[in-house]
Amino acid sequence: MNRALSQPNYLVIGIWLAGLMLLGVLLSELSGGWLPLPRWGVVTLILILSTIKATLVALYYMHLQSDRRLLAFIAIVPLLLIAVVLGLLYSTYLVRL
Amino acid sequence: MSNAHAVALSGHLEETRTGIPNGKLGMWVFLASEVMFFTGLIGAYVVLRISNLQWPGHEGHLSVPIGTLNTLILIGSSVTIVLALAASQRGAIGRTRGWLLLTILLGALFLGIKGTEYSAKFAHHIFPHTNIFWSCYFTLTGFHALHVLGGIAFNLFVLRQTFRPNAWGLQQGRLELAGLYWHFVDIVWIFLFPLLYLL
Repeated sequence: MNRALSQPNYLVIGIWLAGLMLLGVLLSELSGGWLPLPRWGVVTLILILSTIKATLVALYYMHLQSDRRLLAFIAIVPLLLIAVVLGLLYSTYLVRL
Repeated sequence: MSNAHAVALSGHLEETRTGIPNGKLGMWVFLASEVMFFTGLIGAYVVLRISNLQWPGHEGHLSVPIGTLNTLILIGSSVTIVLALAASQRGAIGRTRGWLLLTILLGALFLGIKGTEYSAKFAHHIFPHTNIFWSCYFTLTGFHALHVLGGIAFNLFVLRQTFRPNAWGLQQGRLELAGLYWHFVDIVWIFLFPLLYLL
């Protein structure tokens, strides 16, 4: 019952998700013309926006914010493994340089 | 009771050492493995793209407005399934069914639009073997579409359970599991859309 009372406003979060997605589309469409940003800057911004959206979904729609910490740990472990793999991948690029 | 907690899953009082229903814990572990699966695919795409100096790209054959519409549909379906769960927790079975049905319809609409995109590509003689970009596009979106299809099947199963009053009382936890899976599918698309359509 308490959980039901403390539920976030799912519609507002949905509007944020849609807004952030449209902002990414706008950034992509304006890059190379109106937007004085290099290509890598636009790519970084759009990927940051995607990460924010994924975090909002995980925290509020998948209830990681209010659920047990163990579930957050399970969700984070693959991300840590991905970070290790990316680190190894880019280290091979550095060695080649 | 030490670490053991009594938790309600599917109407039964179930003792688990973690305090998390076994089904939910299993779903999260499954989703963690799915993260690794899609990371492998997306990682391959990124590495191929970075290492290919003359990346072919979609050359105007992907419609950003259609991709945007499909993304809005999937985001909308995430909203509707979380509203179905909230309604279920309030005991509002009619609203639960309504939101769940809407989620299924939105998922089907997403697949319908994706199918239309595929047929348009085939009509322009664009196939997975056309070039490296289209190989990646069909692989990534194909596997994602299969996951959407699986999510629709799961949601349909849960919807059917809502029409069995005795069974529903015991199996409400499955709606939360279906929701977790559906949100994961949404998160994957949140990354696929910009990677394939925008960048």
